[in-house]
Amino acid sequence: MNTFDPSINRRTLLKFGGAGLAAAGLASLAACSSAAGSASSGGTIKMLFFGQQSAATALQNALQPQISQLDKSAKLEVTGINGTDWNDFLAKVLTQIASGSAPDIVSVATEGLQLMASKDLLIPLDSYVTKDLSSLQSYFDDTHPALLESMMFQGHLYELPDSFNAGSMFYNTSLVQQAGLSAPTAGWTMDDFHNYATKISRAGGNVNSFDWVVRLWGSWTSFLYANNGNLLEEGKYTGGDWLWSKAYANQPSAVAGRGGGWKWGTPTANSAAAVEALEYVIDLQRSGLSPSPDVGGGATLQGLFSSGRIGMTIGGGFWAGGLHNAGMKDGSFEVQKFPTWKSNRSLFGAGGYGIFNSSKNKDLAWEIVKMMVKPESFDLIFPGNVTTPGRKSLMTADRYKTTGPTNWSVFYDQLDGSVPISAPPYYNALATSLNQRTTQAISSGDAKAALDGMQSDFEKAAAGS
Amino acid sequence: MATQIQKLKPAIAPPRPSARRPGALRGARREGIFGFLMISPAVVFVAIFTFIPIIASLVLSFVSWDVITPPKFVGLANYAQLAQDQSVLRSFGVTLVLAVAIVVLQLVLGLGLAVLVNQRKHAWSKAFFRTTFYLPLLASTAAVSIFMGYMFDAKFGVINYYLNLLGVPSVPWLTSPVGAMVTIVAVTVWQQVGFTFVMFVAALMSVPREVLEAAAIDGAGPMRTLFRVKIPLISPSILFASVVAMINAMQLFDQPYIMTKGGPGTATTTATITMYQSGFENLQFGYASAIAIVLLLIILAITGLQFIAARKLVFYQ
Repeated sequence: MNTFDPSINRRTLLKFGGAGLAAAGLASLAACSSAAGSASSGGTIKMLFFGQQSAATALQNALQPQISQLDKSAKLEVTGINGTDWNDFLAKVLTQIASGSAPDIVSVATEGLQLMASKDLLIPLDSYVTKDLSSLQSYFDDTHPALLESMMFQGHLYELPDSFNAGSMFYNTSLVQQAGLSAPTAGWTMDDFHNYATKISRAGGNVNSFDWVVRLWGSWTSFLYANNGNLLEEGKYTGGDWLWSKAYANQPSAVAGRGGGWKWGTPTANSAAAVEALEYVIDLQRSGLSPSPDVGGGATLQGLFSSGRIGMTIGGGFWAGGLHNAGMKDGSFEVQKFPTWKSNRSLFGAGGYGIFNSSKNKDLAWEIVKMMVKPESFDLIFPGNVTTPGRKSLMTADRYKTTGPTNWSVFYDQLDGSVPISAPPYYNALATSLNQRTTQAISSGDAKAALDGMQSDFEKAAAGS
Repeated sequence: MATQIQKLKPAIAPPRPSARRPGALRGARREGIFGFLMISPAVVFVAIFTFIPIIASLVLSFVSWDVITPPKFVGLANYAQLAQDQSVLRSFGVTLVLAVAIVVLQLVLGLGLAVLVNQRKHAWSKAFFRTTFYLPLLASTAAVSIFMGYMFDAKFGVINYYLNLLGVPSVPWLTSPVGAMVTIVAVTVWQQVGFTFVMFVAALMSVPREVLEAAAIDGAGPMRTLFRVKIPLISPSILFASVVAMINAMQLFDQPYIMTKGGPGTATTTATITMYQSGFENLQFGYASAIAIVLLLIILAITGLQFIAARKLVFYQ
C-alpha cells in the first residue's frame, strides 16, 4: 500500500531539497572564503596560544589585570591550541581561520611567519615600532638581532620575538661518565662527537648513544647546518635599515650584514653537504649507535632520554624544563654547543606574537604584544623553562638553578653565527616532504635517492607557492 | 491456528485504491505527513553532515583555495593534476593493497572465530568470547594506534623484546616499508575483527536447526556443513560485512597517520593521508577535495563490483 498521498509532491520536495543542498554547499564555501575577514570586535582581544587550554587560561588571567590598566573595557580571551609541533599548530590555526574565527593576536614561530606574512594575514609592525621606539629600546638592547631578523619578511618586521631555541647537544652525564669520558668542551668537533657516541655505546646496557626526531628543527638538519649546508639557498631581503639603524644604533657590529629577513631561494636539498649529513645519521643507525627516529613531536625521545636510555640528543633551552618535568634531577643532564663540522653553524627557531590584519583592535593588540615582551611577562607566558628567553637579561644562573643545566649560557651563545630554520612561505609542503623523504632514506639507506626526491618536491612546492 | 490466520486476512489486506473514500485519503495524507515528520530529524542530520559536505567537496574540487585568499575557479585542473600526480596515485595503490588485506583477514578471521565460538555449548562462554573479541572495537582508534606504536617500536618495543628473548632478531616493524604495512594491517584487523565476528555469530545462530540436522542425516561432516550449508546461508551477512569493511578500510587514516605518519617514505601513505596533507598541511583544499571525490567514486565502484559479484555468490533464502 502506498501510504504517501499523491498530493504531497515529492518531486517538488526533492527538487527544492536538492537546490537547497547545493545552495547550502556554496554558502558554506562562501562563508569559509570570507573567514579571514571576520574578527573579534568591541573590547575583546582574541589570542591563539600554542599549548594546553589550562596554560592559556592561566596566561589570560595573569595578563588581564595589566590589560585592564590599558583599557578598562578590554577583555583578553586566550585559546590554547594543542599540537605535536609548530607544523601541527599552524595547520590548526589555519583551519580555525577558515571556519570564520580569526583571532586578533596569534602565536607564530619561525615556521609559519613567512607563510602568514606572505598571505597578508599579519600586519607589519614597522610603524608601531618606529612610533614606540624609545619605550622599546630596552627590549632591543636586550634581544639578539638574529631573532629580530628571523621575524622579518621582505624588509618588514612582523613580530617581536619573545623566545627561541637553538640546536645544542644535550647529554646524559651518568652515561658519559660510565663511558670514561669527560664533559665535552665548547670547541668539540664531529670526530669528538663520534668518539663519544662510540664509547657510550661500548659502555653497555640497553642504551643508544644518540637519538633525534624527524622534523625541520634539530634533526639531521643540525648536522646539515654544521656541514655548512642548507635545504634552500640562503639569502637576505633588502630593507630593514629602518630598524637596524635606529633600534641597534649602539650595536653596529651586531647588525652588520643584517637585511630585511631571510630570503629562501632555490632548493639545495640534494647538495653534497645534505647527502653527507643524512648519510652520517643513517650510518649512526646502521652501526647501532642510534635507533630509528620518530617523526615529529619529541615525547618519545624525551621519555627515553629522561629514563637514561639515550646518551646524547639535539635540544634547545626548552629541554631544561622538559627534562626536569620528566623527572630528571639537576646535574643528571648537561648541554654543550653543537659540534663543529665544516662550520660551527647551528640552527634556531624563534617565537612571538603577530597581529592579525583583520583585527579591529590593532592598537590595543599592539599594546598587548609590547606587554608580552616585557621581562616580567616571560615567566607568565612560559612557566618552568620550557623555552629560551629572547631577552638575554633573563638568562641567569638563578633561572636554571632548579632545572639545570649548569652550562645554560650555551643556549644564548649558540645564536652567534646561527641561521634560522629554512621556513619559506611554502613551509608546510616543505615539512611534509622532509618527513617523508627522511624516513624513506632511513628505511632504504639511500640518502641520495631520497634527497633527489626531496629536491623535486621542494621545486614543485616552490613553483606552486 | 490456520483458521485464525484466515480470519485475520481480510482485516490486514490493503484496501484497493478504487475502494478509497475521502476520509481514507485524508488519513493516508496524515499518515504520510507523520511519516515525513518522523524521518525528518534523520534526513536533516544526514543532509547537514553528509550531503552538504559532499556537495561542498564537489564544489571545492573545481576551485583553487588556500583557505586564506578567496577561492578561484579552475575547472577540472585539480583532476588533471591528480591524474599525473604520482604520489597521489601511489597513495590510492597503497590504500587498495591495505584495504584488500584488511577486509580479507577481517572476514576470514571473523568467520573462523565466529564458527569456533558458536560451537561452544555454554552460554556464558559464548558471551565471554563475544565480549572479548568485540572489546577492542570500543577503544579509541587513536589511543590504540599510539599504544601499538610503542608496542611495535623497533628498538624499545615489547614485541621485539620478547622476540629477542626467543632468539629472534629485532624486526623493523614500523621502519621498513613491508613491516609497516604488515603492522598496520595487523593492528587494524585486531581492532576491527570484532565487527565481522559479532555479525557472523548472529548469522550462524540464525541458521535453521532443521537444515543442519538434515545435513547431518545426509552424512555431511563439520567442514562440509560449514562450507556447503552454513556459509551459503549466511552469505548475505558476509556480503554486508565485506561492503562495510571495505568502505571503512578504503578510508583508513588513524592507524597509519599515528603509527608511521604515512612512512617510511610514502610506504603507508593512504589516500586519506594524502588528502589531509594536501588540505591541512599544504593548504590546497581544492586539490584535497578532488582527491576526496575520486576516492568516493572508487569506493562506489568497488561497492558496485561487490554487489555484482554477490549476484552469483550470495544465496538468499
